[in-house]
Amino acid sequence: MSDNHNTDKIISTANKLRWEIGENLYDTLMETIYQNAQEIASKAITYSDKKPPFSLDRTLDKILTSKYFGLPIMLLMLALVFWITIEGANYPSSFLASVLVDYIHPVLKDLLTSLNSPKWLTGLLVDGAYLSTAWVISVMLPPMAIFFPLFTLLEDFGYLPRVAFNMDALYRKAGAHGKQALTMAMGFGCNAAGVISTRIIDSPRERLIAIITNNFSLCNGRWPAQILIATIFIGGLAPAYLAGIFSAAAVIFIAVLGIAMSLIVSWFLSKTLLKGETSSFSLELPPYRPPRILQTLYTSLIDRTIFVLWRAIVFAVPAGMIIWLVSNITIDNISVANHFIEKVNPVALLFGLNGVIFLAYIIAIPANEIVIPTILMLTVSQLGLTEFGAGSGVLFELESTADTAKILHSGGWTLLTGINLMLFSLLHNPCSTTIYTIYKETRSLKWTALSTFLPIVLGLSLTFLVTQIFNLLS
Amino acid sequence: MIYLLLIPLFFLIIIFIFFLFKKGKVLFRKFKTNSEKILQEDILKSVYNHQYQNSVCNIESLSEKLNKTNQQIQSSVDKLIDSKHIEPDNKEIRLTDSGKNYALKIIRFHRLYEKFLADKTNVNEKKWHQLAEEFEHNLTNEEAEKLAAQIGNPVFDPHGDPIPSPKGELPEVKGMRLSELNPGDISVVIHIEDEPDNIYQSIVNKGIYNGIQIRFLGTFNNEVSFYANEKLCSLSLEEANNINVGLLKLEKIHLGDFKKLSSLSVGQRGKIIGIAKSLRGQQRRRLMDLGIVPGTEIEVELESMSGDPLAYKIRGTTIALRKNQTEKIYIESL
Repeated sequence: MSDNHNTDKIISTANKLRWEIGENLYDTLMETIYQNAQEIASKAITYSDKKPPFSLDRTLDKILTSKYFGLPIMLLMLALVFWITIEGANYPSSFLASVLVDYIHPVLKDLLTSLNSPKWLTGLLVDGAYLSTAWVISVMLPPMAIFFPLFTLLEDFGYLPRVAFNMDALYRKAGAHGKQALTMAMGFGCNAAGVISTRIIDSPRERLIAIITNNFSLCNGRWPAQILIATIFIGGLAPAYLAGIFSAAAVIFIAVLGIAMSLIVSWFLSKTLLKGETSSFSLELPPYRPPRILQTLYTSLIDRTIFVLWRAIVFAVPAGMIIWLVSNITIDNISVANHFIEKVNPVALLFGLNGVIFLAYIIAIPANEIVIPTILMLTVSQLGLTEFGAGSGVLFELESTADTAKILHSGGWTLLTGINLMLFSLLHNPCSTTIYTIYKETRSLKWTALSTFLPIVLGLSLTFLVTQIFNLLS
Repeated sequence: MIYLLLIPLFFLIIIFIFFLFKKGKVLFRKFKTNSEKILQEDILKSVYNHQYQNSVCNIESLSEKLNKTNQQIQSSVDKLIDSKHIEPDNKEIRLTDSGKNYALKIIRFHRLYEKFLADKTNVNEKKWHQLAEEFEHNLTNEEAEKLAAQIGNPVFDPHGDPIPSPKGELPEVKGMRLSELNPGDISVVIHIEDEPDNIYQSIVNKGIYNGIQIRFLGTFNNEVSFYANEKLCSLSLEEANNINVGLLKLEKIHLGDFKKLSSLSVGQRGKIIGIAKSLRGQQRRRLMDLGIVPGTEIEVELESMSGDPLAYKIRGTTIALRKNQTEKIYIESL
């Protein structure tokens, strides 16, 4: 009892003192700490009075943030990073595919068959779980293993903060932080890694905006699909010698549309849902320094590549089983997948898509990389084509673009389907790895759900609009 | 067939709208309004304020202040007399001890919430009072103490008013009215009355905030003139009467030039005098953590592509700040 009484007395005395001192305490405290530190430092450290005649840092800064060179240099750097990533990833990707898919897959299948395992088990484990996992690894690992270290090297060198510094004016207008330019660029490599990289934004509001809009960066997994579809449907519109330029322009248009969407959505969020969240800005521009190459390689491989890949694998295993199951479980002699496709087709047509695409985006949720193989497999099994593929539920891809085009055309694809697929590939839910990462980072079901459904709503609205306009015009 | 389209689209739009309008946070919670309870609490608050300022309080002054008819006030006052929160004293209305505690509790909730809005959210300062007016009636004691703990048990609200302690203690009024200063006096704004709202808004619009330094010039033709942070400023007598000034402890008076950091261009230098109190909470702490404290030398080092933000050299590091921040940082020439 007397204890309680004493505590009360102490608290009330403390309150009186705090009222007495007023609100300047914290500021004064900080000021004194800095003063003390400075006194100590000035005793111990001496600076030479002379300013160096030439400062590399300053000169670099002047060039990299200049009005005229800043933007071109930035675009050039980004283009270079992407070019190295896409070119460099080709060889290891096809090597991994030849080992994991072409070689080990049949070996595993034979092994299980020789062990007298029932056909459904072999299919479920080898054609389903193993194959989709192998696929995810072979297409996901090489680009990430190249892109992340390159990006980290630029960061380590000190260039990336300058990009944020230059881009801040644009992002400020959208209610976001300049560093969002970096997380967005990271999202071009992988959205899950992009979401993790938003940790560099220390203001809660701007960080949430960056997380929610990261999915609008066209990630590595979606580039190949964009290029393939653009080559088949957009490139086909132009005379042969212009086909390449046409399809490249279409893909770049989609990527730029993604950037525009991310700015618009950022602006919209900061004006509505996130209006009340606290916001603060600060950006440190560290001195330039030679990048530590080995350390960078190690950390970007372990922290980013392996981390993201592991999450993708965890989701790929069950999804692979589901992909196999929906194509092999039959009701009235028609597979579940085909039932679904039949049912959804009329609806999908209104969005200029088809049931196969809808189903592919649902079951290929672990990675955007396996959307195209899933679409091909589903189309082949729906039409009963026997010249392609390796049976229902078995993902495949074709060397030849012409053969792919043949499958898609016989699946009833038109130019409109191609355009809408490109749009929907940009504007649809993030892959399960990214969704899970968003949940891990925000710890909020609400924001996770918003990040998941907002792009779908946008994508469906846009494809619906495009389809109606297209139908009116033709 | 077209109706099939409506099913998924409708579903998705519903989800979207749901998120748009579901503001699940305590921050924006909408309440079932119990108008009788609110009126009674508002009456208690008003009576308390009258007593605090030693002015007479009766039915008429209350109905004017709260914008209600005399009958409405009378019926609520009768109920408050029944519940022994107030007692009539001739024509005057006085609080009983329990009424005073109740009023202080409501005032505590109000000021805590204003402090919360100022420090933890981005809500515009002109809206704090209105939001707190709604919020104060819908808080339990436990929620209030949780809120207080979350914002570090503050003892002042963002207008400079002391927040009553949970036990209902409140210090004496300090300082004097701005209009009572003598020409040449130097003082600091310590309180801006947030009622009536239109007067408060016009004071805020003139750039006056808590902590701004005043060098008084005098009153001419009902216009009160003074330098606020060395910038000439004038207010009507009514506005000036709603501002209290005084010297708090640890306050430093700065004489000489007052420039904004934003007035410097690349290569120019200055010495920081202080950060305006209107930069609060996380924003303020972040700047101070970066070394932006009085006495620090600062130099503009670099301009970004579009001219905003600028990069500043502070204690050997380079830090980019936006213009809306540097406008609130004061410096003097070196």
